[in-house]
Amino acid sequence: MHVEEKPVALPATLADDLDLIAEMTGDFARSRNIEETLRLGLEHIATRMDAEAASLFLMEADSGELVCRACFGPADVAGLRLPHGQGIVWRSVLRNSTELVRDTGDDPDFAFRVDTRTGFVTRSILCAPLAVRDERLGAIELFNKTGGGSFDGDDVRVLRALAASAALALINARQAAAMAERQALSRELALAADIQRAMLPQARPAEFPIHGINLPARGVSGDFFDIVELKDGRLAFAIADVSGKGMNAALLMAKTASLFRCLAKRLDGPGALLSAIDAELAETGSAGMFVTMIAGTLDPATGRLRLANAGHEPPLLCCGARMVRIDEGLPPLGVIPEMFAAGCPESEIDLDGGTLYLFTDGLTEAEAGGRMLGAAGVERLLARHRLRPAPDRLRAVVAEVAPDGAVLKDDLTMLVVEDCRRAPLLRRLYPARPESLALVRRAVAGILEGLGLPAEIAGDIVLAVDEACQNVVRHAYGPGNSGDMVVEVRRESGRLAVDLLDFAAPVDPSRVVSRDLDDVRPGGLGIHLIRTIMDHAEFVTPPRGAGNLLRMTKRIEPS
Amino acid sequence: MTVDIREQGGSVVVGLEGEIDLQHSPAVRKALMDLMFERRDVVVEMSGVAYIDSSGVASLVEAYQMARRNGSRFVLAAVSAPALRVLQLARLDKVFALAATVEAGLRG
Repeated sequence: MHVEEKPVALPATLADDLDLIAEMTGDFARSRNIEETLRLGLEHIATRMDAEAASLFLMEADSGELVCRACFGPADVAGLRLPHGQGIVWRSVLRNSTELVRDTGDDPDFAFRVDTRTGFVTRSILCAPLAVRDERLGAIELFNKTGGGSFDGDDVRVLRALAASAALALINARQAAAMAERQALSRELALAADIQRAMLPQARPAEFPIHGINLPARGVSGDFFDIVELKDGRLAFAIADVSGKGMNAALLMAKTASLFRCLAKRLDGPGALLSAIDAELAETGSAGMFVTMIAGTLDPATGRLRLANAGHEPPLLCCGARMVRIDEGLPPLGVIPEMFAAGCPESEIDLDGGTLYLFTDGLTEAEAGGRMLGAAGVERLLARHRLRPAPDRLRAVVAEVAPDGAVLKDDLTMLVVEDCRRAPLLRRLYPARPESLALVRRAVAGILEGLGLPAEIAGDIVLAVDEACQNVVRHAYGPGNSGDMVVEVRRESGRLAVDLLDFAAPVDPSRVVSRDLDDVRPGGLGIHLIRTIMDHAEFVTPPRGAGNLLRMTKRIEPS
Repeated sequence: MTVDIREQGGSVVVGLEGEIDLQHSPAVRKALMDLMFERRDVVVEMSGVAYIDSSGVASLVEAYQMARRNGSRFVLAAVSAPALRVLQLARLDKVFALAATVEAGLRG
C-alpha cells in the first residue's frame, strides 16, 4: 500500500515561531559563547516581532541589578544598569508577567531618562520576563512596532513563548558551562593529586629502617612525609601537616616538601633544618597558614636519632611493650619566626632496638568504632599490629581507621622508624594463599643466595620453608577464612633460623607428626621434608597477639 | 607451570614444566588422574620441572598407586635435578619407576 504523506499545514506565523524557537535552542546548545548567542537570539526575536529596537537584560548576581547584555536597533544601551525596581523591565521581572505598554506617556513606571540619553523615542513597550520555575534570569524588552501602532495581545503571547524558550536555552547553556568548568577543575585536581603522590618517596623493601604512608582525605593532601638518604649513611626524614585542607594547603605542602628535600642534604641536623624552613616560610608567608612538622635523622649503624618538633603531634617511642611520648618542641612553623631564629631544640634518642612512630592528627582524630581514636587509641592500635613488618603494620593501622577506602575527615600520614641493627635478613608478611608461595620461595632464595650457600642446600631450605607455609595456607585459618603469615629469616651464630608466624587459633603440636615412612600417605610428606632438611623444627610460644610460631633452624657453618 | 599431554607409541606422555607447588599441583593431579581412570600407560616427562613440593609429589604418588592397582604403567622420565632431589628427600626415588629419557620410559 502506498501512503502519500500530506504535510500538516501550520499557520505560517506559528510555523515561523516554532522554527525560530528551534533555531535559538540549537544556537545555545552549539555555542560556547552565551553573550553572542543572546545577541543573535534577540535579533531574531526583534525581527520576527517587527520591533524597532530590543534589549535583553540579565540579573547580575553580585549587585542584584538588571544589566543590558544585548541590544538591537538604533540605540546602543549595552551595559546599561537598572537598579532594583526601576522601569518597565523591573516591573515585568518582579511580577513575572509579560508587560504591554501601548503608550509610554500613560505609564508612570516608564523611565524617560534612557530616551533622553539615547535620543530614541519610545512609544510602546512589550516586555517579557526570562524565568525558569522560580529562577529569575532577566527580561526581553521590545520597543515600538515598526510602521507605527502598538504591540497587541497576539504579540504578548508570541513574546511570552519566545522568552520562555530563550530562558530555558539560557539556563541549559549556563549549566553546561558550569559542568564543563567543574570537569576541568576535577581534572586539574586529579593531576595535582598525581603530582603530589609522585613527591612522596618510593616504597622501600620491608627491611629498610623507615617507612611511611599517606592517605589524603580529598584528592590532594596537606600532609607529607619524606625520607632522604644522606651521604654519610644517615637517613633524614620528616612528617608535616599544613593547616587547612584543599588546594592552598596542598600548595604550601609542596613548598615545604621541596624545602625539606633541598635543605636536608645541606644542613646539619633537624633543628637547623626546621629553623631554615621556618625562615623561608615566614619570608613568603601565607597569612593565617602554618605547618606542624617533625624533622629527624637516623644513623642506622648506631640506632641513634635526632629529632626536632615544630608544633606536631608528639611521636611515640615504642620499646617492647613500653610506649613513651617524646613531648619536646616549639610551636608550628610560620607563626613566631623569632623563636626559630634563636635555634630549635633537638631530642636525642637511642632507639635501642625499639621503634619510633610519627603521625599527623588525621590518625589521632580518626574515628574507630564511632569514637575518636586519641593518643591512647593509637597506642593500642600500634601494639595490636606490632608483629607485622613495618609496611604491613602501617597498612593494617590505616585499614582500621579507614576500612575499604572509607572517606577520611582529615589527611592521614604515618611514619615508622626502626632500629634495624638486629633486624632479620628477611621479614615479610604474605596472605596465606597458594599464590603467595612462589613469592616466599623467591624472597628466601634471594636471601640464601646472598649468604653464598651452595645451591643444593639453599634449594632444600627453600623447600622446607615452602612446606611450612603450605601448612599455614592449607590448615591454619580453616576453609573459607583468610589470614596472613609472616616469614622471618635470621642468621644466628652459624645457624640459619626461619620463623613462620600466623595469626590463627593455636594448633596442638602433638597432632603434627612426621609420617610413617612406610606409609605413602601424601599428607605427612611436608612435615617429613621439613624434619629431614632442617636440624630443628618446633612450635614455640608465640608472642602475644599471634597464633602460632614455627621455628626452624639449620646449621649453615661448621661449628 | 604447563601440562602438555601427547600420544606416543601407544602410551601417553605427560610433559610437566615449571614450578609444581600448592597453587599448580591440582592441575597436575587432575591431568594424571584422568589418564589413570582411562587405564592408560603414562610416561611423565620431568626435565622441565624447576621445582616440586610435597603437594606435587603427592599427585605423582596418587597416580602411581592407582596405576599399580590398575596394572598400568607409570614412569617418571628425564627427572630434573631439583625434582630428583625432592624425590630423594622423600625417599620416593626407590619407589617410582624412573627412566633416563622419555624413549627409555616408553620402551619400559
